[in-house]
Amino acid sequence: MSKILVIAWRDFLATVSTKGFIIAIMVPLLSYAAIITVFPRLMNNRVPVISGGLVVIDPTSQVAEGVRRFLEPQAMAARREASFNRALESTAMGGSASSGPGADVARRTVMGDLSKIDITESRPDALEQEKRQLTQDEGVRRFGVLVIHPNAVVPDADGKLGAYDLFVRRNLDIRIQSEIRNGAADAIIDARIRAAGLDRKRIDALTTVARPATITVTAAGESATRPDFGQLLPMGFALLLMISVMSSGQYLLTTTIEEKSSRTMEVLLSAVSPLELLTGKILGQMAVGLMILVTYSSIGILSLVSMAMLGLVDPMLLVYLFIFFLITYVTLGSLMAAIGSSVNELREAQPLMTPITALMMIPWLFSFPISREPNSLFATVVSFVPPMNAFAMLLRLTSTSPPPMWQVWLSIVVGIIAAGSALWFASRIFKIGLLMHGRPPNFATLLKWVRQA
Amino acid sequence: MSLAISLSGVTKTFGSTVAVDNLDLEMPMGALYGFIGPNGAGKTTTLRMIMSILFPDRGELTVLGRPSAIEAKDRIGYLPEERGVYRKMKVGAFLMYMARLKGVKNFTAERTAAWLERVNLAGVQDKKCEELSKGLLQKVQLICAVLNEPDLLILDEPFSGLDPVNMRLLRDLILAEHRRGATIIFSTHVMVQAEEICDHIVMLHKGRKVLDEDLVSVQRRHDPRALIFEPFERGADASALAALDDVDKITRDGGVYRIDLREGADPVRAMRAVAAAVPPARLEVHRPSLEDIFIGLVT
Repeated sequence: MSKILVIAWRDFLATVSTKGFIIAIMVPLLSYAAIITVFPRLMNNRVPVISGGLVVIDPTSQVAEGVRRFLEPQAMAARREASFNRALESTAMGGSASSGPGADVARRTVMGDLSKIDITESRPDALEQEKRQLTQDEGVRRFGVLVIHPNAVVPDADGKLGAYDLFVRRNLDIRIQSEIRNGAADAIIDARIRAAGLDRKRIDALTTVARPATITVTAAGESATRPDFGQLLPMGFALLLMISVMSSGQYLLTTTIEEKSSRTMEVLLSAVSPLELLTGKILGQMAVGLMILVTYSSIGILSLVSMAMLGLVDPMLLVYLFIFFLITYVTLGSLMAAIGSSVNELREAQPLMTPITALMMIPWLFSFPISREPNSLFATVVSFVPPMNAFAMLLRLTSTSPPPMWQVWLSIVVGIIAAGSALWFASRIFKIGLLMHGRPPNFATLLKWVRQA
Repeated sequence: MSLAISLSGVTKTFGSTVAVDNLDLEMPMGALYGFIGPNGAGKTTTLRMIMSILFPDRGELTVLGRPSAIEAKDRIGYLPEERGVYRKMKVGAFLMYMARLKGVKNFTAERTAAWLERVNLAGVQDKKCEELSKGLLQKVQLICAVLNEPDLLILDEPFSGLDPVNMRLLRDLILAEHRRGATIIFSTHVMVQAEEICDHIVMLHKGRKVLDEDLVSVQRRHDPRALIFEPFERGADASALAALDDVDKITRDGGVYRIDLREGADPVRAMRAVAAAVPPARLEVHRPSLEDIFIGLVT
């Protein structure tokens, strides 16, 4: 056992001390920081400053003033503030983040600087002339002509209500167009209500119902329900499993190929048996995978702690994540080591890797239907087919309708049997493949080696 | 007699190729065996089977009294023919790693330095393996093979790639290990090396054992009963030698004559007669080389 641990420790150190690994660990951390700081700035989501002229042609004489009021800088600022607060409330962070330092940055980003709009009125017969102005760039820049229909406020003889037409210059920002449309619609509604002798504020009050958040009641207490969190959690767990297993499996593959191609294998075999070597290598890279898993999980947990949402994650899920990591890693790692031992260079490993990679992608392809219908027949069947079972079961466990416990433990037992079989299979290929050079084997040859070993 | 290695009817095939065919071998403790034969004779395959790196299709083998070398690896030193190192690892760290794998306790930095000094590599422990030349790395790998002071030392083509100075150093090291009490078996396709070091020869040809005998008796048994003669005076007429009683025939190669003796002739008497007939600058009994013996056996 001590020799196995010596091999495992060397492999672990040799992997985690490489620049490539350090970068691989740091990239997600830096990406996480970038997502919350740099990325929004780079994306420039800031609402553009509206600066220019809007001509309003209002034959009703009842709408233009409303448009003017709607597009006043203070009014626009107030609407954006309200919109921002609503958006913040609907995020996973909820109201808890509205007072943080990030919220101020976000608020400034969304609010942008106050706009400066020069609204002028014109006559209906000057429409063509005003439209021509939109093609000229000299002088005060006009970005639109808003034409209110004559029957926009009061129905015509046929009893029909009109609306408005909006003419804009080329490449006008869609958000500005939206602002003008909203202004026109709001002003027309306001005029219609007034024309009908009604009170706009009273109607607004009567037609608005607040939308309170639902409350999730758990043994630990009550907390606001986060439906989006319920969707993110399964993907987060499956992603953690995928990253840790595939990364460590890939390291196992490449280090095995390196040791074989550099002829170090036979030197090692002078001191240990092939099975000890295989076990040591698998354990070493398992530690690498666990390190990745712990690092990434810690980021997630710290995020939850900072949002006061840690209570929404059942600690048993982390235990299941650990168990399924071990099972999936041993299964895939064994196969990776077997492939690594049978080829001479990474390029030759690709054809043998393709079926394994494809197998691993299946739960991803069906992750959405599995997490949405966690107890469907498909989800249940995939939960017992290794090596996909771990991903499927994690998606189900973290969904809003977890599977019965007997299914979870049956899936674990199936996984353990699969891991043991993969290890047996790999040890036989490993024993023969280690010293085989020359033409890379195909699957038929690998099976032949298994029988021969 | 306790045996270090015992093979009985061992056979190994790769596809349709029979690499080792029904090989029997008994190697006593403390012996120094040379495993010789041309490329593809089955030497490396046999050594790998002894090391339990490959496994025979048929036959039995024991190593240091165990049914598998795996059970005795800490008592065995092995220098494979295809040898590599972790290129990015420091030399000292690599040796200490191998020592731990071989179960050597307290293989300290001082012991590492001492071993390196012994093979004229003092001070390289902090260099990465990739910084060393192939020849120097070979000496590092040799240390890996002997650092556990093995009871059985298996060396597969240990001299390949070494310059004459390092060949001598390696030969001295092998002999020192033998004097320490290690049983040694080494393979080579350069038969002169085996003649210089070994006291017992195992010769393989196409997977089959064609010779298994101690070196002296091999040479004696295959003694062609011939003399090598070089006259004192260059150009001297040596035709008179053909008329001597014990001489069968004379063959000239430049200024040197090979004198084949008749069956039953006494070499000492023949040498006296030759020396009396033509004064010699050189006169000696011709010893057959392993190469001669091998060619004689397989042709």
